[in-house]
Order: sequence, then C-alpha cells, then structure tokens
Amino acid sequence: MLQLDHIGKVYQVGELEAPILSDVNLTILRGEYVAIMGASGSGKSTLMNILGCLEPPSRGRYYFDGRDVTSLSDNERTDLRNFRIGFVFQQFNLLSRLSAMENVMLPMVYAGYPRRERQVCARRMLERVGLGERLDHLPSQLSGGQQQRVAIARALVNQPELVLADEPTGALDTRTGQEVMELISQLHQEGITIVLVTHDAAVAHRAQRLVRIEDGQLEC
Amino acid sequence: MAFTTPSTGFSAAQALRAQAAPLRSRTNRRLAQLAESVPLAWESLAANRMRSLLTMLGVIIGIAAVIAMVTIGRGAQTQTVNQLRSLGSNLLFIQSGVATTGSPASQGAGSATTLTWEDAKAIASASSAVAAVAPVLNRRAQVVYGDRNTSTFVVGTTPDYVTVRDFLPLSGRFFNTDDLLRATRVAVLGQTVVDSLGLNAESALQTTVRIQGEPFTVIGTLEYKGVTAFRDMDDQVLIPLTTMASRIVGVNAISGIALDAISVSARQPEQMEAAEFQITNLLRRRHGIQPPKQDDFLVRSQADLVSASTSVAKVFTALLGGSAAISLLVGGIGIMNIMLVSVSERTREIGIRRAIGARSSDILQQFLSESVVLSCCGGLAGVSLGVVASALINHAFGWRVGMSLDAVLISLLFCMAIGVFFGSYPARKAARLDPIEALRST
Repeated sequence: MLQLDHIGKVYQVGELEAPILSDVNLTILRGEYVAIMGASGSGKSTLMNILGCLEPPSRGRYYFDGRDVTSLSDNERTDLRNFRIGFVFQQFNLLSRLSAMENVMLPMVYAGYPRRERQVCARRMLERVGLGERLDHLPSQLSGGQQQRVAIARALVNQPELVLADEPTGALDTRTGQEVMELISQLHQEGITIVLVTHDAAVAHRAQRLVRIEDGQLEC
Repeated sequence: MAFTTPSTGFSAAQALRAQAAPLRSRTNRRLAQLAESVPLAWESLAANRMRSLLTMLGVIIGIAAVIAMVTIGRGAQTQTVNQLRSLGSNLLFIQSGVATTGSPASQGAGSATTLTWEDAKAIASASSAVAAVAPVLNRRAQVVYGDRNTSTFVVGTTPDYVTVRDFLPLSGRFFNTDDLLRATRVAVLGQTVVDSLGLNAESALQTTVRIQGEPFTVIGTLEYKGVTAFRDMDDQVLIPLTTMASRIVGVNAISGIALDAISVSARQPEQMEAAEFQITNLLRRRHGIQPPKQDDFLVRSQADLVSASTSVAKVFTALLGGSAAISLLVGGIGIMNIMLVSVSERTREIGIRRAIGARSSDILQQFLSESVVLSCCGGLAGVSLGVVASALINHAFGWRVGMSLDAVLISLLFCMAIGVFFGSYPARKAARLDPIEALRST
C-alpha cells in the first residue's frame, strides 16, 4: 500500500545542508501495523510527515496505493490526507476554540459533507471512543487521554485506510496511554493500516512489525 | 475501560457513509463552505471582541464620515440654490463690461465701468420682456453709529430694487422716487449691519449713521436673506443711487451716473431668454458695438448663477467626501494589520487544518471571510452612525437632505471591496504557509 523508494530528505539551514533521511526504502502492506522506533532526531518524525503527504521528500519516490505522491499537486495531496489518511499527533493538535464535536467534524467539513451528516458521524465516532457524554466540551475541559481520543475520532471520521500516529502516548501517563494503544490495536483489527512512531519500546511491541531508524537510515 | 462496546460503531458509520457520498464536486464543496464560512468568521471575530471592535472602528468612522460629509455638501448645495432663488424671480444680472481697451487680454467682468443709469432707464422703457430694472452702484465703506462701526457694502440703487430683488423692508420703509430725485441722505440697513451696530430692527429707525463720514437717516431695515455663495445678502446698506453717486462715490460718468451692475427681472420665466436678447441688442446699439468688437458688458441669468454655484458645491462635496474616504483607506489598512496579526497567531491552527484536509484555498477563504465580515460589520455600523450624524446635521442647520439608498449600498459594497482588498494579502499569506512549518510553530 505504501512504498518508499530511495527517499532522502535534506533541510536547508542557511548555507548548510542538514541531511535528515538518506536512502530510505520501506514497503508497508495494506492492513499492517508497523511501529517506527528511533531516538529523537533520528528522522522518524520527518519520515512520518513524508508518509502523511505533509512534506515532500528531497529525493526518491513515494507511492501511495500505486500513485506517485511526489508528482501530485498540493490539492491532490491535501485530498489524500483528507480522505485516506488519519493523523494522531503527540500534542493532540485539537483546535482549542472548537468543541469535541466540532473538532471531529472538521475533516468532514473540508470533505464537503452536509452539516447533518457531519453531526451524525462525529457523534458516532465520539461515542465509539467513549466520549459520548462530552460532545460539547472544549479541549481545555478534557483530560489528556480524552483529548487524544477526540483526536483519534477526528482521524477516523473520514474512514481512512491509513492512520499515522506520531508518539500518540508521548504526552499521556501510562494508564491512559495504554487505553489509547488499546484503541489503536482495535482499529488495526478492523482492517486499518497503522503506522506508529515512538521511542517507547513497550508501545512499539504492540505492533506486528518493528522498524528502527537511526541517523536517517532504517535498520530492519 | 472505555472501549468495551463492540465495534459496531465503525461499521454503522461506514454504512452511513456509503449512502451519502461527499460533495466531491469542487463547486458544490465551495458553495457549501461559503455558506458556513460567514458564521465561522463571525465566531472567530467574536472570540477577540475588543480587537475586532477596534479594528472595525476605522471603517466605522470612515464610512460615517463619508456619509456625513456628503450630506453636508449636498445640504450646502441645496441651501445655495434655494438662496439664489430667493434673490428674486426671473432675474438677469448685467455686469459692467469686459475691458478691451488696448490690451488683448480680457480683465474680466466688472473691470471697467461701462454701464450707466441711462442704459438702465433705456432697458426699462425699451425692452418689452423686462418687468423692472434696478441699477446698482456698490462700494465697500465704513458705517458708523455712535462708537460702533462696521465695514459693509453700500449699494446705491432705485426703489425698483425692491421689486427686482424681492426684498421687503422688515421695519420702516424703502426709499421712494422722491428720495431718489432729491438725493436725500436716507439709508435702509440689512440685518447684519443692524446687528453689528448694536441696534435692532425697531431701534434702528430714525437713527443717524455715518457712511464715509456723511450722516444718513435710517428709514428702514431689510428682511433676512441669508448667505449666498457670493456674499452675505444681509450685510449691505441701501441708499438712493443719486445720493450714492454724489456723496459716496463722488464721480460722475460722462453721460450720467456710471454703474457696476444692473439687475433686471423678466416678466415671465419663459421670457428670460427674450429679455436677455433684447438687453444685449439694446446695449450693443447704445454702446456702438459691432461684431469684431467684444461686448463691454455681461448678461447672466439666475440659472447661470445657480449652475455655477452648484458646480462649486459639487467640487466641495467631492473634496469633503474624498477626505473622508482617506480615513476609510486607513481603516482598511487597520484591517490588513490585524489580519496579519491573526494569521501569525493562528499559524498552528492553520497547520492543523491543512494536515487534516483543508486545501490552501479553504484557508484563503477562511481568512478572507473574516476580513470581509469585519469590514462589512464596520460598514453597517458606519452607515448607521452616518445616518444618525446626517440626521443631526439636518436638524442643526434646518436642512432636509435625505439619505439616498444608493449611497448606503455603495458604502456597503465599498466596504466589502475593502475587506477583500485588504484581506487578500494576509489571507494569501495564510494559504501559502507550509503545513509542516505551521504545525511546528507554537
């Protein structure tokens, strides 16, 4: 489903070139649950951004479901993110002025669903992650674990085939972290492809497959 | 655990999703979002209430100023026109000529005294379209009463002035033919002069004032006329033409008394042109003017004066409106400024929205809607304020200048244009943000 072909990424810092990724080759099959592990600065977040079509690679090709993402326009990549990829971030990245419902509805707004349908789906999703009682709460009125579950509901609301989770438990305590991981495993069982980035071995071991990254290179 | 419920939630949602396909058509999507962007923009502005209000203030003041200034301009215009009409009906003014002596350059109307009292008498007797004729000889002179004095226009004329210029005495009487023939030292004062001499309409009667040192008996005062585009019609003293010529001006023309101007009233409004034609012909004949030679007088109708002063008032209105429009421009810059602040404050929000599927055009639309809502709210408030200000101005000056609907509509459209124009730079800046850069910002 995902294929990284000799991917390289270089950041330009003034005159200097800082290589982040060099010659990364990775294939992820549909329905896989892959954990990418590495220390901070190893380039795992950049790899995640490339997988999520948020950032183009400097070199190499990235195929999403057979389509060469590197040749897509900005709008086409945006639509890929919207319809086929769900993001779960370490810092939740919820919009603080919007309620849980409105946050979850947001991807559907950009997908162009009518309001009524958005509400029905968002409500179902929030009920699904166990927040049916807190639809109108603002993120600041929710605990970290609850916020992350809102973020998961948001990632799922457009029925993505791929969920990218970047340190989903990084900002949570052990117990709520486990709850969130539990939920992610469940998504995997329902057929969604999961790619998870973490530096926590306990978290990584829940995955089917473990990929280590060090200094911008993969060690399989 | 929160996840003990069976996973039917997803499949149910999936089933629902399968039924209703998203509006993937670009136009439908855009339209649906446009309808929602206004309330969203409103919410986001309401979140920063004080800031939004202060930003709007620029537009509010600008629009209100434009509307109020245009009201003042138009009010002044109607006022001027009305006053010119009140000077008398069917008026024609003959001004003492254009000097052509030697120099090829015209020195303008009034630069040479070519009209005489004889001309005025001839017009009165020979022109059938003319109802009455008032010869005028003016000088600015000092008028003294007791220890008070004022500099005013002293006008030497005939009793027909009352008919031609539609002036009625407020108190006392106007001078008559007898005064004119005997060149008596009597004066009729305008109300501004009465006030400056510390008198009133009644107490002024039978007092003695000195005009250029000559004692005159006040026999009447004139009714109020107000200020025209040219001068204060109440700031004048009328005396018999003969007295004026012998006591004040002190110069006689070769053939009788030289005049500055002659005011003429036509019998009917329809006869204005006939009167103008007759007068021109008569004066050309009397002054021996043949085609290559230029007229040494100038005939102007009241309509000419009205249109001249109207065009002056229009320039005036445009100037007022234009200077108010500058404040509107400043308001627009204020919007741009605050939108730039808003974009940099919400960089992370933009990143999140981009990550979960907002196209850059969606971001553009979001910020553009905010600036347009901001400027249009300001516009609405400004129009309301402007209408109130106009009402107050009308009340204060006793005008009746209505607010035209198109002025309001134009203001609102202009506001929308300001929102789009000054909002587009910040909005484009927001739309062009790199999603990853934006997400990384704090």
